Amino acid sequence: MGAAVKARAASAVVVAFLAFCPRVRADGPSSPPPTPAMGDAQILSPIDNALHIESIMTRISGFDQFGHGWQAQGGPTPTAPGSERATILEPQAEIDATQGARLKHRIWVPVDIVSNASPHAIDVLSSASRHVESGSIDWAATYQASPVSDATILGGIHLENPFRSWQGGLAGSRAFADGDTVVSVDVLEVFDWFDRFDIHGTRHGRAERSSATASLGITQILTPTTIVNLNYGVTVQRGEMGNTWNSVPLATGERGPELLPDERVRHAVVARAAQFLPWNGALHVSHRFYADDWGLSAHSTEAELMQRISPFVYVGALYRFHTQTGVTFFTKLADPSAGLRTADSDLAPLDSQTVGGKVVVDVPAGPPIRTLHFEFGYDRYVRTNDLHINVVTCATGYRF
Amino acid sequence: MRLWAVVALAAAPIGGCALVPQNRRAHFADPMMSLTPEPLDAARRQKLYDTREGAAGGNGATAGGGCGCQ
Repeated sequence: MGAAVKARAASAVVVAFLAFCPRVRADGPSSPPPTPAMGDAQILSPIDNALHIESIMTRISGFDQFGHGWQAQGGPTPTAPGSERATILEPQAEIDATQGARLKHRIWVPVDIVSNASPHAIDVLSSASRHVESGSIDWAATYQASPVSDATILGGIHLENPFRSWQGGLAGSRAFADGDTVVSVDVLEVFDWFDRFDIHGTRHGRAERSSATASLGITQILTPTTIVNLNYGVTVQRGEMGNTWNSVPLATGERGPELLPDERVRHAVVARAAQFLPWNGALHVSHRFYADDWGLSAHSTEAELMQRISPFVYVGALYRFHTQTGVTFFTKLADPSAGLRTADSDLAPLDSQTVGGKVVVDVPAGPPIRTLHFEFGYDRYVRTNDLHINVVTCATGYRF
Repeated sequence: MRLWAVVALAAAPIGGCALVPQNRRAHFADPMMSLTPEPLDAARRQKLYDTREGAAGGNGATAGGGCGCQ
């Protein structure tokens, strides 16, 4: 038999096999049934503009603070630091919703219940430092103008015993290079009105302050496992810059009021990076440099390591170090004739460290809930000038 | 000259040069990789730092509002 005959016979076998073999379908009996095709009415029907809740998150945090501050009265002598002991309970709730194809809403309601603050101070006459119940409602609406750009309107009010605050702002972002790069910009204005108490607890009308912030950021995907962000912002504040009841130990052995400038310009640059790790973990690092015209400059460095230990559970460990120079007019014993003076320990030269950990669980659930979210965390914050705080936080949430 | 080189490098992505195509960005969908942490967790941490240190404001977060202490 010649080669040509052999080839002809092989071709006949192949053709016969192809002609009579059963048809193999990708959607066999074990595959899920195909999704029914959308009808014309569904495709052409108007977009549903009803509000659809995407997620509800709740979190409660407890702060247990110990320490002393030079601005607080109530120490063993008039010029000694007073107690900064405080316990704070902070519940928060957040709702994310969509409305139609382009609009997203975020409503955030944080509440602070501060008790036992400055319990021995004369400023206890001001309820602001004795027991505070404050709450805010913040709302953000984001309009997706195009697949690569969006605009957001921000608004919020804050209510506190002797304090009222309103804020409003605009933000926008635009993606470039197929989403590789995102440039964002935002502006925010805050107006505060609050009672003016002197250091003896007597009320003298109202004080006000305005804070305007503008910031510009760029986020860049560098590699399939690395993303970085750089942000610069400036805040200009005018008005009463203190709480009005902070006091300063004087060289005369008494206490006098804090004297602050009526304007403050603050600059901050933040660089952040997130790196996916080959063992199913992630490392976040950030550095923030801050400087203002009161002479305070600060560096804050933070690292957080996260590790997934199952498809639904990951754990995280955080360390943060902060160092600041303090404002030029900080003092623990002021000359009574000084034009500017503060003994506020927050404005002093200091270092602080935060060590924390968390466990996060995201469990898939049946309709209508897509994921159940649980989180438990603990942070310890320690400042070199006699302040430390234990923080416990717990969150639950639903994603639909 | 060196400055222009830096500017050109920084502007390259804005000009449309994607460094990483979309089908290689799967890791960024993991919540662990989000550059912005869970908002409520971020808010309570930020408030702690803003009210205990003198370096609030500037980076998108405001330096005003609440407790009259800033």
